Amino acid sequence: MKALVAAVILALGLPALAQEAKPLEPGRESLAIPYEKYKLKNGLEVILSVDRKLPIVAVNLWYHVGAYHETAGRTGFAHLFEHMMFQGSKNVPDDVHISMLEQLGATDLNGTTNFDRTNYFETVPSNHLETALWLESDRMGFLLDKLTEEKLETQKEVVKNERRQGTEAAPYGMAREKMWHTLFPLPHPYHGDVIGSMVDLDAATVEDVKNFFRTWYAPSNATLTIVGDFDPAKTKALVEKYFGSLPVAPKPQKPQVAPVKLTGETVIRHDETVATLPMLTLAWHSPEYLTEGDATADMLATVLATGKASRLYRRLVLEKQIAQSVDASQQSIGAQSVFTIEVVARPGVSTDTLKKEVDAVLEEVRKNGVTAEELNRARTRYDTRMLSGLESVGGFGGKADVLQSYNQFVGEPSYLAQDLARYQAVSQEDVKRYANEQLRLDARVVLHAVPAPQAPAAPKENK
Amino acid sequence: MRRLFLALSLLALASCVTTPQPEPTPEPAPAAPAEPPKAEDPQAFRTKMPTPGKSPDLVLPTFEQTKLDNGLTVVTNTRRELPLVFVGLAFANGTSQDPAAQGGLADLTYKMLLEGAGGKDTIALDNAFADLGVSPSMRVEPDGAIVGVRVLARNADKALALLADVARRPTFAQKDFDRRKKQQLADLVRRLGTPWFLAQQAYLEAVFTSAHPYGHPGSGVPASVEKLTLQDVKRFYQKNVGPKATALVVVGDVTKQQAEDWAKKYLGDWKGEAVLPSAPPAPASPPRDSLRVVHKPGLEQTFIMVGRPGIAVGHPDEYALDLAITVFGGFFGSRLNMNLREAKGYTYGAGASSDARLGVGPITVYSSVRANVTGPALAEFVRELTDIKARPIASKELEAAREGLIRSYPGIFETVEWVGINAATLFLKRRPMDEFARQVEGLEKATPAEVQRVAETYLNPAAMQIILVGDPDVIQQQVVPLNLGKLAPMDVAGAGKPAPGKAGK
Repeated sequence: MKALVAAVILALGLPALAQEAKPLEPGRESLAIPYEKYKLKNGLEVILSVDRKLPIVAVNLWYHVGAYHETAGRTGFAHLFEHMMFQGSKNVPDDVHISMLEQLGATDLNGTTNFDRTNYFETVPSNHLETALWLESDRMGFLLDKLTEEKLETQKEVVKNERRQGTEAAPYGMAREKMWHTLFPLPHPYHGDVIGSMVDLDAATVEDVKNFFRTWYAPSNATLTIVGDFDPAKTKALVEKYFGSLPVAPKPQKPQVAPVKLTGETVIRHDETVATLPMLTLAWHSPEYLTEGDATADMLATVLATGKASRLYRRLVLEKQIAQSVDASQQSIGAQSVFTIEVVARPGVSTDTLKKEVDAVLEEVRKNGVTAEELNRARTRYDTRMLSGLESVGGFGGKADVLQSYNQFVGEPSYLAQDLARYQAVSQEDVKRYANEQLRLDARVVLHAVPAPQAPAAPKENK
Repeated sequence: MRRLFLALSLLALASCVTTPQPEPTPEPAPAAPAEPPKAEDPQAFRTKMPTPGKSPDLVLPTFEQTKLDNGLTVVTNTRRELPLVFVGLAFANGTSQDPAAQGGLADLTYKMLLEGAGGKDTIALDNAFADLGVSPSMRVEPDGAIVGVRVLARNADKALALLADVARRPTFAQKDFDRRKKQQLADLVRRLGTPWFLAQQAYLEAVFTSAHPYGHPGSGVPASVEKLTLQDVKRFYQKNVGPKATALVVVGDVTKQQAEDWAKKYLGDWKGEAVLPSAPPAPASPPRDSLRVVHKPGLEQTFIMVGRPGIAVGHPDEYALDLAITVFGGFFGSRLNMNLREAKGYTYGAGASSDARLGVGPITVYSSVRANVTGPALAEFVRELTDIKARPIASKELEAAREGLIRSYPGIFETVEWVGINAATLFLKRRPMDEFARQVEGLEKATPAEVQRVAETYLNPAAMQIILVGDPDVIQQQVVPLNLGKLAPMDVAGAGKPAPGKAGK
């Protein structure tokens, strides 16, 4: 479920293992998730999937709106809006949504926003399913009844703190943002990288919240998924009771956005003030989620930088000992993905040296491809990882999210086996072609994030 | 193991939350709006929170434990929903067993186990695991180390064979040691860029003092790691790693019998004298004589950590303390988060936790706050702590925490990996296999008087150390007027100094 990786998370700090959802091999039957999908009269899609292993139920709502749907001057708005959804609605008192769920024993309770969608989820003891539906339906139907200027101002502050924590005060946070801005210049809606800018967050108004809600939070633009230990007939009746009478609004049109094309190598040199070691990042545009080339990019990223025997780790960390860590990933997104290689230098090593070595490794792949053995290992990783995504009924990347994601992107919730088949099908030739056609020297962004050579001296030891 | 675990995860996520004003916790019940709707309103049902049905039985994982003749502990938990298995080893001697002035030795030793074993070098070993679809990593904690992998059931046998090599037949080659040590040293430099790591070092020294087994960062500091040799690593391994001090944990689509057969096959003839460590002594808990400040000029947030020694596992106050901490800062809806985040907008989250270890572990309250409200935010920390006494825990708050904690148990144990790591933690903390049932019982039985007493005992602000990481001028201007103590600047392992060597342009 790579599409989820891009999310900005409103983390609660509950213990949680972030998991990716993906398929399997020997028990292939486990990959077919039984489900029932239907639509209410107002257009709300419903997906039900029974899983009785524990007496719990996951309730998971996807609104098919994310940063992609933001307008000029309002970067970060989809995520700010997500925060407002926890602030109370007509029948749910202010700011108690989360604590009500906490005190009845909910787990995997959160809301997250990414480029393409916003999700809200909670896993509750099975006898509290109705309460979860009550809470979710009230904010879907009646959020604006209790909206106030004051609530918005407070959540702006909370979100700006979230931004500081992840961007201004985080190692390489500002550097990564510069790179992202270069990959997606305005007016591309991915420009704000979900979190948005301080200026745009400050500019958001109550009127914006109202308009966004009316346009994008209509039942016809949402999908409700319920997974776990429940009675389907009774649950359908409950869904009808709580969601069926919510007003009809037209399904909004998806904005059309022209893809961005890099036409050269853009080099960014950033004076890093938080991190202590230099970092080199190379980034390219890449095929969007679930399209041709997306799985190939995943496989190549794995071969390059997952595990100590991976190509970049082996050469830069083990052999040359010039890097501290290496990372490669395909960030799969709906409109345009991003393939990234990130290398943190050993003290005293320059990012220019790192760049030379990374390019040498890439050149080798462009020329000679990768081995069948490397691809087999990567496939086994995806088999294992995708299957374990089905272990949790809810939460970020759990079974309900898996169903939702495939439903949004291909219209078929139980698509895990087909997704995995993409990885099975990737050939050595595919990887070589991808490296040549996508990871081009003349269409990429190169980021050097380098700490200032002279940081102010700290006070002496005073033990 | 919400409790055992919270502590492991929470410092990593300083992003939680918490609480409010006069009546902090929301009602579990109705919470109806002011105007009752008319009877004929077909939407009237919405005004009331639904009445829940009967609670389902609490389903807790059941572990089976046996011991092989050589002293190796084997813990299994069978679940058959998916063809997945977690296989892991838990080693009982953690960073608390670092010899004096050798901080980082346990960490380096355990990481060396994955740098070549069973005749395979670093790359061959990694590839052998990669054939099974995984790359194991070693997590090294104060009370032990855990290495485990989640694999397809058909690969479980092979995974255990490899893990047995890792535990029993590490290569310990000089060249790998030299590289790994350099990598660990560079990692210390890297981590100095992270505000919470800077805070953690000052925090450990303040709460435990550096002579205490829990008083140093597990990674060591550059000065201690610099001096470590391969001989030190081999000596640590000989003394501390062996069957009597190790548990094999197998969770998932596998029978107890199968797991035990594998244990005998791969680990049954393992010999070694290492034994379980004794619990570290309880640290003193002196009153605060100063506020420790780590300088990070220009930082846009200030990281605040407040804490003191808490309790060891098995302490009679354990469950009452869990409840008190949950009300104070453990939930999103806790007092601290609802105040600092939701009412004031100072932070993305504020929280508290009690990390009950084999020995006395820390109680920690923390948040990252906007730099220009450092003073007001710290004042609110202190006010909330003081308020525990001035505004005792209401029964509504207590019952919400109690019900919330107890009812969340089944949902915590969904994945084989999580169950496996919890089982490993039971072994490291010497807890019985029915620990979770005991926790539930303890949470059920804690009385309001007990909860209030432990809250006042362990959350008294005068006995809590305060650590601040941020811009020195901002901290000076905003914190001095609060009269909480003098500011003592700390140099934590070279923080604030430039990275050694020349940086690239």
